[in-house]
Amino acid sequence: MKPLQKQSRRDFLRIAAAALFGGAAWWIARRRSPRMVWQIDPEKCTQCGRCATHCVLPVSAVKCFHSYSMCGYCDLCGGYLRPDAHGRNTGAENQLCPTAAIRRKFIEDPYYQYTIDEKLCIGCGKCVKGCGLFGNGSLYLQVKHDLCVNCSECAIARACPSDAFKLVPASDPYLLKSNQEERIS
Amino acid sequence: MSKVKTVLSWFFVILLVMTSAWVFLNRNRRAEPGKNYIYSTEEFQQVDPALIHYVEVEPLVPSFGNPSSLAIAPVGQIYVGGPNCVEVFPDGEKIQVPATPTCLAVDDDGILFAGFQDYILVFSKERKSMLCLSPSKKAYLTSIAVDEKWIYAADAGNRRVWRYNKEGGNPIEIGAKDEVKGVRGFYVPSPFFDLDIAVDGSVWVVNPGYHALENYSSEGRLISSWEKAGFNIDGFSGCCNPAHFALMPDGSFVTAEKGLPRVKIHNPDGSLRCVVAGPDQFDADVTGLDVAADLQGKIYVLDPGRGKIRIFEKKKK
Repeated sequence: MKPLQKQSRRDFLRIAAAALFGGAAWWIARRRSPRMVWQIDPEKCTQCGRCATHCVLPVSAVKCFHSYSMCGYCDLCGGYLRPDAHGRNTGAENQLCPTAAIRRKFIEDPYYQYTIDEKLCIGCGKCVKGCGLFGNGSLYLQVKHDLCVNCSECAIARACPSDAFKLVPASDPYLLKSNQEERIS
Repeated sequence: MSKVKTVLSWFFVILLVMTSAWVFLNRNRRAEPGKNYIYSTEEFQQVDPALIHYVEVEPLVPSFGNPSSLAIAPVGQIYVGGPNCVEVFPDGEKIQVPATPTCLAVDDDGILFAGFQDYILVFSKERKSMLCLSPSKKAYLTSIAVDEKWIYAADAGNRRVWRYNKEGGNPIEIGAKDEVKGVRGFYVPSPFFDLDIAVDGSVWVVNPGYHALENYSSEGRLISSWEKAGFNIDGFSGCCNPAHFALMPDGSFVTAEKGLPRVKIHNPDGSLRCVVAGPDQFDADVTGLDVAADLQGKIYVLDPGRGKIRIFEKKKK
């Protein structure tokens, strides 16, 4: 057996200083690289429906957002009414949303305002597709960061067929279509 | 020998376990979304072949990409607008313009009217800019039509039609809400707002939010209208359709829709006459199909997705 070598005080100080500088450099680097969170790029999203079914949460953290400044406030809203709707009213048989998460409110003839009930929204994107096809594209999907648990490998991102999920800095976690929505989100 | 067998057996057992684990871990254990979660217009994509009375022929391909506007001159030349340019077919003439025109019109004398977002430039036959009209700073011009006396411009920004004389003077507004005169006002949720002049000198204007076509006299009096909303083939779908239309020599309407891209012909009373091209003849996400018709009844469709002017002729019996 090899006898243990005795360390001098100078060796000990060298090792301690190296550990101290290394630790400080790691801490600064960690502070400088921002924390990242998952978000959906609305331009890439194809509303495949997987956001509703693939999130690890019981009800998806993906919700529909509404850009009021882009909305046409249409009576015949492609995001609210089914393509084969029998009437332009709030009848359940006419509503496109499978959970009735969109509220329709009369403003003045012929304008209607549409709001999203976040508790009911499951993030399927059905309304987003209808709005994008026939309207101005004011409805779109976003990950709500007060609900998201931010898994390191997001289950929806893995299943997303259009590569619409991306990591964004936690300090700026939404990809909004209009600046006017920042207050709401 | 038996030792080799044992090693091989263990090797295959370990390989099987690892493969199973890999398959299990990579398997998608979540159900795919059912049909209730998927938006589908599939049932409206199908068009009865008996309704399609037109056949596509060789298209016109402009020398630039992203064509934005289309007009047919009374003498039959086809004007196509694109980035900083208007190209004339079949002459091959190229007219430089300061931006991308959103709409075009040509009169009997060959004078070109090019609409940009908030102004109209008028070019002489020698292609010199001779007049600039600017209805309002908020204007978003989407269509122009001209006859011997008047210039009409559809302004989606102000939800108005502006009428000028040929010198650019005497402007009046058409379409302001006036319940006493039965004018409900134009409802334009998105910048698709088209107009055309009828043979009697009146002007037909799309009221896209109501899925309607409205006929106004040159003084702005509402004469008549018809409307038909719905996804079925005889109606107009979505929140703002028809996106574009053109009048045919017999007074019928060639209409182009967005969302469910299709080109149809409606009789002067609004009933469906036939289909020119169904949704399966266009790219699914195409928006902004513009249409024009010549005196021989040929239909020209500006397809921005494919960057072409597609031409449809009536099928021979």
